[in-house]
Amino acid sequence: MSRTRTNQEWLHDLNASGALQEAAIADLRDLLLRAALYFFSRNLGDFKGLNRDEITERAEDCAQDALIAVLNHLSDFRGDSKFSTWAYKFAINMAMMSARRERWKGVSLDELASSDESNFFEWMLQDKAEGIAPEQSAMQAEVRGILQEVIAHDLTDKQRRVLALMVFNEVPMDEVVRHLGTNRNAVYKMLHDARLKLKNGLQAHGIEVGETLTLFSTSR
Amino acid sequence: MKRNRLERWLQNISKTQEEEISCSECFDSVSHFVEVELSGADAAKKMPQLKQHLDQCPACREEYETLRDLARLENDGELPSSNDLQNLIP
Repeated sequence: MSRTRTNQEWLHDLNASGALQEAAIADLRDLLLRAALYFFSRNLGDFKGLNRDEITERAEDCAQDALIAVLNHLSDFRGDSKFSTWAYKFAINMAMMSARRERWKGVSLDELASSDESNFFEWMLQDKAEGIAPEQSAMQAEVRGILQEVIAHDLTDKQRRVLALMVFNEVPMDEVVRHLGTNRNAVYKMLHDARLKLKNGLQAHGIEVGETLTLFSTSR
Repeated sequence: MKRNRLERWLQNISKTQEEEISCSECFDSVSHFVEVELSGADAAKKMPQLKQHLDQCPACREEYETLRDLARLENDGELPSSNDLQNLIP
C-alpha cells in the first residue's frame, strides 16, 4: 500500500536518489494508475470491444506517461493543493485523451468538419415546436438568420470548422486537436473568437443573447 | 436532445467574455480550485475566470469533475485500490 506523504515529503523523496526515490516513484505510479482506472471506469462506453486486460494496459500506459509528465513538471508545483490532487490531473488528462481516441478511431472528421451552415440550421430547425405564437416564431427566425449570417460571413474557415466539429457534432476537443494538428489552447481560442463574433453579431442587431434563451426554451 | 444542445450553445454565447483564460491556465490552477471547493469555500467566487472557463470548455470541465470526485474520495479515505478499480471493468 502507498505510504502517505506530506507535500514536502513528496518533493523531497522524488528529488532524492536510491531507494527513497524509487519508493516514491512507485507510490506515485500507483496513484496515477488509480486515477487513470477511475476515469476509465466512468467512461467504459469509450472502450467497446476491449476486454479488461486491454483496458488495464491502456491505463498503465497513461499512468506511465503521466508519471513522466509529473516528474518533468515538479518545479511547477506551487503547493496550493495536495501533491496528489495536483498529480492526478496529469493522469486524468492522459486517460481522457486515450479514451476519446479509442471511441473516435475510424471516424472521419473531414466529413464532419465540412458540415456547412445550412446543416446547422437544419439541426436547429429539426426540433421546432408546434403551436408557438407567430411573433415568437418570427423572432426565432430572425435570430437564426443573424447567426447564419455571422457564421457564413464573419467566421474564418478554421472557426467554422471547429464550430462544425465541436458544437454541431460534439466531437471531443482532443480529437479536434489531433485532427487539426494543433493544441487545446488554439482550439479553445478559435471557439472563443467564434462565440464572441456571434454574441457581437446579435448585439449589433439589438438582441441581447440572454433574451434568445427564453425565446427558444419556451417553445417546447 | 437537439434543443437542449442549442440552448446550451446559446447560453455559452451569452456568457462569452472578451478575455477568457486558456486551457493551459485552467490546467495550472484546477487542482487549487478543487481544494478550495472541497474545503467548503466558494471556489467559483474566488476564481471566477477559472469557473467561467469550466463552463465553456467541456474537456476541462470533465477533467475537473473527475479530479474533484477523486480528491473527495481520497480525503474521505475511500480511494479504491488499483485492484478494486480493475474489477469495475467488465
